[in-house]
Amino acid sequence: MTEYLLLQALNGLIIGLIYALMALGLTLIFSVLKIVNFAHGELYMLGAYFSYYLAKLFGFPPVLAVLSSMIIVFFIGVVIEVLFLRPVYTGAVERKDEYAILITFGLSIFLQNLALFVFGPWTRRSPSFMSGTTSVYSLSISNDRLFVSALAVVFMIATLVIIGRTFMGKGLRAVSQDREAAAIAGINPFKMNLLAFGAGSALAAAGGALIGPIFLIFPTMGAMPVIKSFVIIVLGGMGSIKGCIIASLILGEAESLGSVLFPDLTRGLAYKNAIGLLFLVVVLLVKPTGLFGEKHVRMK
Amino acid sequence: MKKLILLFVCCLMAWGVTVPANAKGIIKIGGVGPLSAPGSFESGKEMKMAMEQAIEEINAAGGVLGKEVALVFEDTQGLPEKGTAAMERLVLKHKAVAVVGEFHSSVAKAEIEVANRLKVPLIIAEAWADVITAKQYKYVFRIAPANSLFYRKIANWIHAAGFKNVVMITENSDYGIGVERVIREQLKNAGIKMTSITAERTIQDFTPQLLRFKLATPRPDLLFGIFTGAGELLMVKQAHEIGFAPTKETALFAVGTDALHKEFWEITGQSGQYVLTKTGYYPGIKFTEKTDPFIKRFKEKYNREPTFAAMEAYEAVYLVAHALKRAGSTDPDALVAALEKTRFTGLRGVIRFSLDREPAYMYHQWPGTPAFVIQYTQVNQPYTDALLLWPKAHSNGQLMKP
Repeated sequence: MTEYLLLQALNGLIIGLIYALMALGLTLIFSVLKIVNFAHGELYMLGAYFSYYLAKLFGFPPVLAVLSSMIIVFFIGVVIEVLFLRPVYTGAVERKDEYAILITFGLSIFLQNLALFVFGPWTRRSPSFMSGTTSVYSLSISNDRLFVSALAVVFMIATLVIIGRTFMGKGLRAVSQDREAAAIAGINPFKMNLLAFGAGSALAAAGGALIGPIFLIFPTMGAMPVIKSFVIIVLGGMGSIKGCIIASLILGEAESLGSVLFPDLTRGLAYKNAIGLLFLVVVLLVKPTGLFGEKHVRMK
Repeated sequence: MKKLILLFVCCLMAWGVTVPANAKGIIKIGGVGPLSAPGSFESGKEMKMAMEQAIEEINAAGGVLGKEVALVFEDTQGLPEKGTAAMERLVLKHKAVAVVGEFHSSVAKAEIEVANRLKVPLIIAEAWADVITAKQYKYVFRIAPANSLFYRKIANWIHAAGFKNVVMITENSDYGIGVERVIREQLKNAGIKMTSITAERTIQDFTPQLLRFKLATPRPDLLFGIFTGAGELLMVKQAHEIGFAPTKETALFAVGTDALHKEFWEITGQSGQYVLTKTGYYPGIKFTEKTDPFIKRFKEKYNREPTFAAMEAYEAVYLVAHALKRAGSTDPDALVAALEKTRFTGLRGVIRFSLDREPAYMYHQWPGTPAFVIQYTQVNQPYTDALLLWPKAHSNGQLMKP
């Protein structure tokens, strides 16, 4: 039983790391733009498709395909920011929160149906990063899962270094804390918006592209991960990067262990998605701002 | 201003004259099925392809009642409320004389209510829940098998193959729960040990439960996955990755139609070898003279092997055309009377609709739907080349283990 629970915990850790990558992009966007991006799941889906086609049609090695799809989706994110989200900050719209929700929600539906039209309805799978399995005690774990979780850690560390240690990262943090003060200090908030949305989109694409060989690629693949990401960023505290990573790991573990420790074993899997939400409710009741959240998170 | 109004009125009149003239030359048949999320759009798309092929052939052969037939297809998205709206649009707006199709039982359950209310014949092509025909509505017919009708045959195979300890993972949909109930009852009667768990249709990681099954003592000898869409493919892949099934100790049966699509191999790769699945068509068996030409044309047109879902959708369109010819009119009651007397040579046998009211699901149900258990013995094998295990009379091999 101990061995079994340890394996479940390992599985939960792997899933948590994958969740973290996607939720990190959403957090980055939220902390700078103060916008909840409902189309984040579709950027994740686009990342997966681009990576798949780059590997399949042009023979890109899997890791290069992931990096290339991140670059493509970075620019798609930039275009979305300029065309649809810029009006929020130029004073072109009055009800900023509502506008942002509606525009990203509409974009999500549009991109999902566009993918259905362009890529077709058939489920796809990206080539493996590392085929085969690794045995842990008497059980085996796919090498893809291990490789993907390692790559997720690399991407997360890179993001943390860029945000924490570089001049660009300082700019992003400054805008996330106070747009006007940042502008007075000579930081262009529009540029930072662009960068944050592009980088957030690229992180979503990385999540999708990495998950391609594990959880498969289809036009609606982003629907469930985006819900999990919302759970994570609320659980971790809206806009907190540290909170986001910790909450991802908690959610991964809660789902993995919760579904097997559920009192009625035949229903454990049916309630798997609900376990995360239950956890969220409990945390919010005790700490309404989430684990590491701040109070002022609305657009100014 | 007066001139403008006059022009507008003239336009309206011209439109009024031309539209009925067009409508008079066309008989519209409604099609329903999922073409977008959250429905199983891959199956909906395949069904639509087959319906379009049938319409083309019928028109090439001179149409029906001296008119052309046209397919008006509505995307029901796997959502009951969309199914209701689609049916209403097809009947009230497009004036479809009959409607065919549907893949999801939950949606079909909503559609049969509209068919009954608006008095329009509806032939369900690929939704299996017993309740669809068990309601015994006058206007509702089905050529897909009822869960009870089909899965009793599959349960018989499980028994005959000697499995003693079966675990099932079921999607919590009308279809999944219905299949699980039939299999559970049959296995219980046969004295076979069985554990059943349900899961959300959107679930992506089955590993926690699969690990539990793998470590169970005694180890299960059959994993029976009652899932459709990506969930089914993920279950196959993950069960193999953790070394649970298909293995020497545990066989894997995946019931969803996705196991028959060519994309199955791209996704499962090595994991797909030795997987068991079911089909309503197998090529080695002589069905009718129409089977091979249909498959040839479908492959030429769409570059893929049709599954039995495509065959059912194709047959459903032909059944309407056939009934229209015999009824000699588009009157719904005349159509129902003609459908009840149907003896139509389809792709997999002569189709007729039962008028028996016991068991309830047999009413307006085609009782002759074939059921086959097949097993993939090689990677990248088309399902048409897979090993046929059941029914015994047609079997061409024994169950294989890795």
